[in-house]
Amino acid sequence: MAILFNDNAIKEITRQKSQWREQVDESEDNAEKVFETLSGLPVEPIYTPADTAHMDYLNDLGFPGQAPYVRGVHPTMYRGRTWTLRQLAGFGPPEETNKRYRFLLREGATGINGVFDYPTLRGFDSTDPFARADVGRGGVAIDTLEDMRILFDGISIDKISSSLVTCQPICNITVQSMYFANAQMRNIPLDKLTGTSQNDFLMETAITISPELLPPKVSFKLSCDAIEYCTKYVPRWNPISFAGYNYREAGCSAPQEVAFVIANAIACSEELIRRGLSIDSFAPRLSFFLSAHNDFFEEVAKYRAARRIWFHIMKERFGAKNPRSLTLRFHVQTAGVALTAQQPLNNIARAAYHALSAVLGGAQSIHIDGYDEALCTPTELSSLTALRTNQILQLETRVTNTIDPLGGSYFVETLTNKMEEQTLSLLGKIDEMGGIVNATETGWIHQEISNSAYKYQQAIESGDMKIVGINCYCMEDERLPVELFESPETLNIQEQKLVKIKSERNKPGVTEALDDITRCCEEDRNLMEVIVNSVKAKVTQGEISNTLKKFYGTWNSPIF
Amino acid sequence: MKRNLRVVIARLGMDAHWRGSIVVARALRDAGMEVIYLGNQLPETIVDAAMQEAADIIGLSTLSGNHMALAPEVIRLLREKGMSGTPVIIGGTIPPDHIPKLKEAGISEVFGPGTPLKKIIDFAFSCN
Repeated sequence: MAILFNDNAIKEITRQKSQWREQVDESEDNAEKVFETLSGLPVEPIYTPADTAHMDYLNDLGFPGQAPYVRGVHPTMYRGRTWTLRQLAGFGPPEETNKRYRFLLREGATGINGVFDYPTLRGFDSTDPFARADVGRGGVAIDTLEDMRILFDGISIDKISSSLVTCQPICNITVQSMYFANAQMRNIPLDKLTGTSQNDFLMETAITISPELLPPKVSFKLSCDAIEYCTKYVPRWNPISFAGYNYREAGCSAPQEVAFVIANAIACSEELIRRGLSIDSFAPRLSFFLSAHNDFFEEVAKYRAARRIWFHIMKERFGAKNPRSLTLRFHVQTAGVALTAQQPLNNIARAAYHALSAVLGGAQSIHIDGYDEALCTPTELSSLTALRTNQILQLETRVTNTIDPLGGSYFVETLTNKMEEQTLSLLGKIDEMGGIVNATETGWIHQEISNSAYKYQQAIESGDMKIVGINCYCMEDERLPVELFESPETLNIQEQKLVKIKSERNKPGVTEALDDITRCCEEDRNLMEVIVNSVKAKVTQGEISNTLKKFYGTWNSPIF
Repeated sequence: MKRNLRVVIARLGMDAHWRGSIVVARALRDAGMEVIYLGNQLPETIVDAAMQEAADIIGLSTLSGNHMALAPEVIRLLREKGMSGTPVIIGGTIPPDHIPKLKEAGISEVFGPGTPLKKIIDFAFSCN
């Protein structure tokens, strides 16, 4: 026990605070204005030791690398190793994205963060009628193992880590399989691979919904199949990254963001334990992806609270013992939704503040958004500026010199406690509903997010929330100061490759591979192994997904 | 009494982002319009639905960059089916130099990121 303050001092501080309050001229204090965080938590004019007097330093905060990990997951944090500069990249055909990967690595990026185009993320081939207008947009197009070979050509995937932004499990189960199959064909053993796949069923069923969705239970099964497979065969791979970032982009508040990722992680843990795995065999590889939004202190508090909540759940609910199971490790992307199309260079400043909150909150890796993201896919210049912003933060500001520098701030500790309280209350509700999969099936999750998104927009509309260039400091007849990205020709290139591969491959082998998948579905076994074999038989992503959709059926998301 | 405005809202093609379209759909509904929300669709289905629903306005949303390929196709199909009087509006991440091209193709109005909801509601009422 280490209570921080003595009772008499707290009483005296509380007494003098009310005296101080009485002396403040109400007219100067904007008495009618409501001060609150972006997510609606109340904010007091000043915080004192009285606000944190109940806290026990050792139990509630502790030391970096020690329970409850509020102050950081590693004992040395950025003094030992700084965060990974993981800039997102992907567009057009794999030939083009391979060049962008190499460019970013040459310029000092320390990991790959590869995003896939809209059809790939949903399990469609580039040539599908639904896909054609979106091929190569928002990410790179991948149809077959050959595309994966081209994407990582000349990149040492046995040395650097790759984050595969395979948002939907239906995408992940084939694209991750292609990554593993490609490694095997390059004679790199699976246990040498390091990286992360997104693989989040909420992405498929609530966040980035698309045509022909798999039902939540099925999407969730695919997600757990990938985790189970990696636990056994790819032990250094993080097989899931709970995509709170995207939940936030869709409209969530900060407590909803954290509650939904943790509820998702709880569901995965329960399912994997049901399948016979021990918590400490997979929990060390569960990873998180969080947003860095506009409210600076709220974001710092969010990261700190998330670590404490995760620690208690893992320890008390699941009995985890491995320290890595007990620590919530996360990648951060600066909030795209906070960027404006108006006066786009202002976004450089916004994203820098966002990233600073992630650093002060102890993030393990950070992507900073390009200034042009409200207008188009980032250009080479905007990607480079974002990478440089990350490097300036890391090398020039000296914020890495000490660990958790905001720890002990009466305000930040109070906000951390409040964030924890709100998140736990949401987690309680989800538990009552029978967990996150049920809460998604009923549409509750969709409703929660939609309500928050609408509230956010109304706050901008009324002017309560100021956004420079949107509802204040607007410029008439603004001339766009930046060049915009033009998506390279992709569909023809993908179509030609698909035609060639389909004409050359062993047709009975393809039929056999697809039959194996159906049989595996019928027997309700883990699908990963048969899918890794299928991609080696040159089966396309669309053929695999269609086999799954045919067996499991599709679902309409209760979004409106 | 005149019936409420009927608005068909769809996300074009495979675009993943529903936030904008849902926020606009809710705002139009709160302003007293009837909203038929189609989710992700291709032009043909959007135009068929607009016909069946006797839509007064079609609202398209996309942030994926597919607008130049798919939005003019909606206009073409409307003309083909004798519904060229139905205004089509579009919102999302549309680069400024695409706006004149979309209008030339017959899109009535383009609402980029940061557009106040009131502006969209007012425009919809002005179509009546």
